[in-house]
Amino acid sequence: MLNAMQSKNRTINLFYVPALVLFAFFVVYPFVKGIYLSMTNWNGYSRSFKIIGLANYKNLFADKNVRRAFVNTLIYGAGSTVIQNLLGILLAVLLNQKFRGRGFVRTVIYLPVMIAPLIMGYIMYFFFNYSRGALNDILKLLSLAPVDWLADGNRSVWILTLVNSLQFVGISMVIYLAGLQNIPGVYYEAADIDGITPSKKFLFITLPLLMPAITSSVTLNLIGGLKLYDVIIALTGGGPGYDTNSLSTLIYRYYFGGERAGYASAIGLVMFVFIMIVSNIVVRGLQKRQVEL
Amino acid sequence: MKKVFTVVIAVLMCASVVFAQAAAEENPTISVWVSGAGSQVEVLKAACEDFTAETGIKVEFSAPGDTYEEMMKTKMASNDLPDVFDTHGWAVVRYSDYLMPVNDMAFYKNISSQIIPTVSKDGKTYVLPFDMDLTGIVYNVDVMNEAGVDVDKIKTWADFEAACEKIKAIGKTPVTLGGSSGVTVGWYYDRVAPSFYYTDETNSKAADLKSGKFDPKPWEEISAMLDRWVSKGYLNADCVTGDFMGDITAISTAKAGFDFIQNVAITMGRANVNPDGNMGMMPIPSKSASDEPSLISGEGVALGIWKDTKHKAAAEKLLNYLAQPEVAAKVCTATGNVPALTNVKVDLGVLQQYIDKYSDVEAFNYFDRAYCPSGMWDVMCATGQDVLAQKSGAVAESAKQMKSTFDALWGN
Amino acid sequence: MRKANTVLRTIAIIAILAVFLAPFWILTTISFKPSTDTSSYWLLSSTPTLNNIKAAIEKAGIFGAIGRTALITVCVVVLEVIVSAFAAYPLARRSTRFNKVVQAFILGIMMVPPLSILVSLYSIIVSIHGVNQYWAVILVLLTYQLPQGIFLYANFIRSIPVALDEAATIDGCGPGRTFFLVIMPQLKPVTATVAILSSVNCWNDFQFSRYILQTSRMNTVTLSISSFFSQTYIDLSTATACALIAILPVVICFLVLQKYFIQGMIDSSVK
Repeated sequence: MLNAMQSKNRTINLFYVPALVLFAFFVVYPFVKGIYLSMTNWNGYSRSFKIIGLANYKNLFADKNVRRAFVNTLIYGAGSTVIQNLLGILLAVLLNQKFRGRGFVRTVIYLPVMIAPLIMGYIMYFFFNYSRGALNDILKLLSLAPVDWLADGNRSVWILTLVNSLQFVGISMVIYLAGLQNIPGVYYEAADIDGITPSKKFLFITLPLLMPAITSSVTLNLIGGLKLYDVIIALTGGGPGYDTNSLSTLIYRYYFGGERAGYASAIGLVMFVFIMIVSNIVVRGLQKRQVEL
Repeated sequence: MKKVFTVVIAVLMCASVVFAQAAAEENPTISVWVSGAGSQVEVLKAACEDFTAETGIKVEFSAPGDTYEEMMKTKMASNDLPDVFDTHGWAVVRYSDYLMPVNDMAFYKNISSQIIPTVSKDGKTYVLPFDMDLTGIVYNVDVMNEAGVDVDKIKTWADFEAACEKIKAIGKTPVTLGGSSGVTVGWYYDRVAPSFYYTDETNSKAADLKSGKFDPKPWEEISAMLDRWVSKGYLNADCVTGDFMGDITAISTAKAGFDFIQNVAITMGRANVNPDGNMGMMPIPSKSASDEPSLISGEGVALGIWKDTKHKAAAEKLLNYLAQPEVAAKVCTATGNVPALTNVKVDLGVLQQYIDKYSDVEAFNYFDRAYCPSGMWDVMCATGQDVLAQKSGAVAESAKQMKSTFDALWGN
Repeated sequence: MRKANTVLRTIAIIAILAVFLAPFWILTTISFKPSTDTSSYWLLSSTPTLNNIKAAIEKAGIFGAIGRTALITVCVVVLEVIVSAFAAYPLARRSTRFNKVVQAFILGIMMVPPLSILVSLYSIIVSIHGVNQYWAVILVLLTYQLPQGIFLYANFIRSIPVALDEAATIDGCGPGRTFFLVIMPQLKPVTATVAILSSVNCWNDFQFSRYILQTSRMNTVTLSISSFFSQTYIDLSTATACALIAILPVVICFLVLQKYFIQGMIDSSVK
């Protein structure tokens, strides 16, 4: 009986064959080819190129633009994660209360999630533009001097982080709303009887019980932030200079604009390893916490 | 269960529609790819539609805009090029290995001798050129008059800066440069670099550049000049984040004096922003008084045929069709450039007088196309943006990065 | 105390609404502004025009783009639901070492930056004659949506008691029938999530479509909007009108389906 079930079980492995075929064809094969290209000086189109071993990898650690993009990628990833989750929890707590129009507000917050990040980037152009931008119009109304928002790379990195966070905060909010609704009301009732303050209730009941939701939300935000691409292309193009590039946009610029496809492939692989490590550490850390509770 | 089947059947139906559509397109269709955006693309698209109406040969027209170059690179990498495509200034350096020479075609004898060298290698000409990108610095005539600037007296960059000072004094922007995408910054360098590197024959570095030697010193001076303009307030306040259309708007509504965009600034400004925009074009100043002002000349819109095309006859037919004077003229009118075919006559409107006036001014090809290895453009633009943003050390850094990229791409 | 709280909450909510609705408001005002109108983006034009909308429909062919995007999205979503539900079943039910490796591999795919493999991917598509073919873009989008689908399905299936499968096996069901009869009917909520998440991603895709659908005749929504933002030519009025029209179907879909949407999200994330 058990044996029959075992063999039957093995045949169900066939169920994932179609998926694996697709992966092999459209992911693994190009990925392996990318590893090969990362060891060449290929310019991205020409027929002839040389194999140069690990020189690309050596160079990228000395490359100022790569370092900058690396730091930016961390900011996009970590910054978005922190902002989205803090704001997401706040919004969830606020919108978990009962009041009229609650559904409408939730809908409005979720709405930007549906918009292509590329289009959101273009819309933001109308806000941050210097001469006619919507933000400078507000400053003018308050008789303040207009600001050239995107002229300073350091500020632009944070603007991009904020745009990305606000666009996708709806996802975190929904996850946390669900988490809140899963917390049994008896815990709060018990706390009320013990006379515990609201802030302590939040810290000692709500937060710990939200841990699974936090894990989901953080993982989603982190990977999304680390791979940030469309909105940068639409809003700053990675400029001024190379100041707001993420690793993704830098790869794109090196690959095509700089005609250094081999080098860009090397950065791509390093980026892949980097995202793997960061998200694994974070996810592991969060899951451990869940277990301890 | 039933639902699942319904869905599966729906998908299969969708798929069969898609495949059926693909099958119907089997009869000869040639693909045509054009770079850029706006009126020049629309003119070519309309011409291709007329061609289809006349010959029955279908044309798959593509104008991917900003992504044109990168898509062409992926297509070259996989040897899957369009049957006919635009070479946007790179007919020889980047695309000649992929193009079919046009020497035997009917229009060949009409190609102007001025453009032949730019689009040929070893006696083989690779494209049908429509126009010659002969350009200098575009300016607003009304602003010059108001500020009391006589552009004919601007011979050197020092004269140019004096003119800027006068324009600033009347409360207008001397130079409009929208650096957000980087291309306009690149055009600044393309215009200024010749005067620092090789327009002065007694002190030309052209041979060095051609043999793979890049002297960073002049580049640093060019960046320093841009930096000085920013410091002195000669540029628009949003020079780091402004854009191309912003420049066109400023120059055609007499808010700014000069810009560093091609002649298309004049045609586009009058067509899209201000029909009464009063713009002119002047030669580019020189570095020293002993040198003469110069112009930039380059390949404009030019179409070539992929050497491995499966529809050679149809592609040749299309080029011949487009080379007809009345069709080619429309392209020149859209770009505001001098025709590259001798049998094409175009009324360039306001621009014509300037083309005539400066017909004996010496013209040089674009700096990055003629003297740099392919792949420098992005560095030129990005480091220039840093200079515009006045980051500390940006001036020296721009020269350093140009040098190191130049060397890397040369394989030094 | 309670009253003060209500006032604070109302202020917070008004601020939130202002921030989140502003982009849509600006999009609307610009779409109806003549391109010569230089009044503030915040204000509706005093001489509103339909020209931009007309240009979006006639010049940019935005409705065609919406239709094509919808076709691609529907195909990808349906295929994804089928392929990823199947793939998730053995991964959830048979946790052998090999299957754990397979699952880790699938999760790893989520982290591959698509750009680093774009060119090799493109040459594959050329060699299978997939350029300018809808099926090619559908397959590629499907491939890159699958990991997420498999992940969600596998998590969900794990929460279905194994006893059900065992009962079916004892009754003589093969793995196929067990899956169809026992597992499938339970997957409704997570299917809603998978479908909605991936349809948003497909609808908004830019990178893959750009390389596979190269002719303007096949432009999807993002492609046709981006074509108005060129480095050397920006037609803001038409672009915004296109964007406005293009987000309408998404917004309407969301408003109609939001109950399933949020419920699906909740079901899958907390499990």
